[in-house]
Amino acid sequence: MAGSHLDGMEAEAFERPTNITTIPQTPVQSYIQETLAAILDELSSPEGQPSITLKQRGKKFASLFINPETLALETSEMQRYTTYRWPGRDENEAWRFSVALRVLAAIAEAVQEGLVVSKRDIYYSDPACFGTQRTVDTLVDDLAHTMGVDRTALYVEAAAKGLVMGYYQIITRSGAVVDVRLSNQDTLVPRTQDVHKIDLADVAWAVYRRLASSSYHLQSAAGKGILITVRPNPPVTFQETYQQLQGKGYPDLNTRAFVRKLLDHSRQLTKRPQFYALVDGDPDGMAIMATYQYGSVAFAHENRNLNVPGLHWLGLRITDVVAGADPLEDNTLIRLTKRDRKKVVAMLSRNPIWAADGPEPEWRVELQRMLMLNVKAETEILYDMEGGLIRWLDRKLSSG
Amino acid sequence: MSAPMLSRRLLLTETVSSAAAVGRLSRFAINASAWSPNWLKPAAISLSIPGIMEGLWDSVLRAVPKKKTSHMKKRHRQMAGKALKDVKSLSTCSGCGQVKRSHVLCPHCVETHPVDIFALAVTDKQILSASGTSSLKVHSTTDPDFPLVQSIDGAHKVGCHHVVTNGNGSRAVSIGFGGEIMIWSCHDGVWAKDGGASVNKATPADVWAIALSEDGQYLAGVTQDGHIKVWDLDTNGEEIRDYETKGSFGTCIDLSADGRFIASGHENGSVYIFSTESGRMPFSLSGLVKPVRAVAFSPGGKFLAAAGDSKVIVLYDTSSGEQVASLSGHTAWVMSLSWSPTGEYLLSGSFDGKVKVWSIDTRACVATHSETDKAIWSVKWLAKIGRSVGFATAGANRSISFYREATGG
Repeated sequence: MAGSHLDGMEAEAFERPTNITTIPQTPVQSYIQETLAAILDELSSPEGQPSITLKQRGKKFASLFINPETLALETSEMQRYTTYRWPGRDENEAWRFSVALRVLAAIAEAVQEGLVVSKRDIYYSDPACFGTQRTVDTLVDDLAHTMGVDRTALYVEAAAKGLVMGYYQIITRSGAVVDVRLSNQDTLVPRTQDVHKIDLADVAWAVYRRLASSSYHLQSAAGKGILITVRPNPPVTFQETYQQLQGKGYPDLNTRAFVRKLLDHSRQLTKRPQFYALVDGDPDGMAIMATYQYGSVAFAHENRNLNVPGLHWLGLRITDVVAGADPLEDNTLIRLTKRDRKKVVAMLSRNPIWAADGPEPEWRVELQRMLMLNVKAETEILYDMEGGLIRWLDRKLSSG
Repeated sequence: MSAPMLSRRLLLTETVSSAAAVGRLSRFAINASAWSPNWLKPAAISLSIPGIMEGLWDSVLRAVPKKKTSHMKKRHRQMAGKALKDVKSLSTCSGCGQVKRSHVLCPHCVETHPVDIFALAVTDKQILSASGTSSLKVHSTTDPDFPLVQSIDGAHKVGCHHVVTNGNGSRAVSIGFGGEIMIWSCHDGVWAKDGGASVNKATPADVWAIALSEDGQYLAGVTQDGHIKVWDLDTNGEEIRDYETKGSFGTCIDLSADGRFIASGHENGSVYIFSTESGRMPFSLSGLVKPVRAVAFSPGGKFLAAAGDSKVIVLYDTSSGEQVASLSGHTAWVMSLSWSPTGEYLLSGSFDGKVKVWSIDTRACVATHSETDKAIWSVKWLAKIGRSVGFATAGANRSISFYREATGG
């Protein structure tokens, strides 16, 4: 379920192109050249049938499993190849071919110029032809998968959605040191391919959630930390509360890559920071946490490089709220909607993370309790509690 | 019955105690970190000691509690036969055949489900439990050790939230989180899928709570959009009734023993009674303000009990629809209700783990059990065995607890 959201949400606002030095012939360049050359050859012969063959990403839930070694959600599905020919059997195939060709052309241009384009740029170059943003997103990811590279190697990016604030320094590839330790402003999650090294000295924890207090990462009783949040889509600040009510906040690839980078760097430290997820007690919250820890369905082939094993579940749990916030209960608990219930049942029945013999029995129980009580809890509840979210977090982080 | 109920319960997980330990640790940790700046200046403490105490200070620090049992004393007790004795009263579990302590539940058998148990159903000899796992478990209640006699594996893939039985224990119906309804029949104490009965597939999959008539022929269910439906299981599960209410999520349902009335409780606090003969509501009930989580007809059909998030249990007279009593005492959501077979007592379980027994004559709570602080999802009186009466509770502590009337006390 998480995956389908991801797909839609990674299509994002305009990204400022970044200059990148040219690199020698890469698999991407050779693939583009070969494919385009083959198409041209076919076009020049009178009987020719130009075609594009794509390796498709797995879409079947049945083939998903948790790899016991990487602890990531992976797919065992056999590679499926789809070939789009022109003119093809019908109108639809012809359209598919032309769309795939256009996306490939856009990528070729970006690679040649060394400029990063966003999926949104590609879509808006001819919205009528592409139809939906999703068409472009899927094609870009399928192309990357076909070439066996990361999407960033195609010079195509979604706008960064992740925001980070915390006690860390970054040394970029160019050698510059970015020190954000004492800042109390959110910054965009840095592009992981620009990051050479992250200095995590003295960091005790990392929480995926924005907090009301602007300097919690410095003042927490549990030590210094890092806060990461994912900007709701669309990124309009005054709508944030509303967006959070919608239960969004699925991390994009870049945010997940950054978190993973933090984890990898922290492994070298003697005093390792702990990673926590602070999510709403609703189906989306659980799915967001699962996306961080195990990965999403849409990117099952990349999850092993992006998952964060050992993530702690900070909250918020339904039972905490029902038992703890009794005097306030009337306005704190929200009924599940039809969509919520459907989503929970789908998560329980299709995704191996929540399976009966899966790795997270407590998550499964939590989802079942949600169904039983027909309520969900949002983190906003904590603001109204005694001491507010800060006090609650201090307690949870210190005891965890 | 007015004698206190004794608990025979086995702690299967150490979660309770370990949670408490974590709590203590956490408080300590907070104090430590809050006071940590003071540790930087211990000089202030030593300076405040008066000179006369200077020599004494060391011995004060080394002092130990006086009441310490010495080795010799321990040995004396042992020689006098007063020390702890070896456990010699062992027996073989009649359920699984493993060795266990006599008069204590078999730890292998009572370890029912690794996740929350959401529902219990009883027959005259057995108790069925439904949980977040895919299997239903059957325990014998005639044996004092309550051994596990059957595990119906793979019954509900995503877990099961309601299981009900008919009066003589020949049929059971369970409904899973995926919305699927399964019908089971019992032959010689063994449950199997009932091939001759079904629920019409045409029904939408959003039935939530269910109830089965005494003879097992009729199944009543309340849906998530507030409809109350009745199916005749013996005629291909044909839907024979469909009552519409105001559309609030139906959380619970019960059929009266004589089959004349259906009661349902809803999330908006409404409680409805329908007559199965006329298909009408004989009267409207005042309802509760907050979500209703349990409704139950008394065995004689004279009363209807309803309870939920408002924490009070309300008794209605089913002949007039008047509210005749409200039983208050729970401090958390009431999740489940069950009448004793004679109708003298009402059993209730709440979200904070408390189980209460109420006398209907005096309208007062006669016993409170608080063996767990985890939510109770289901409570059920057991069928009378000989002269002893008892009940079972289950919930988020992941075990079934059996209680029986205290003897000789």
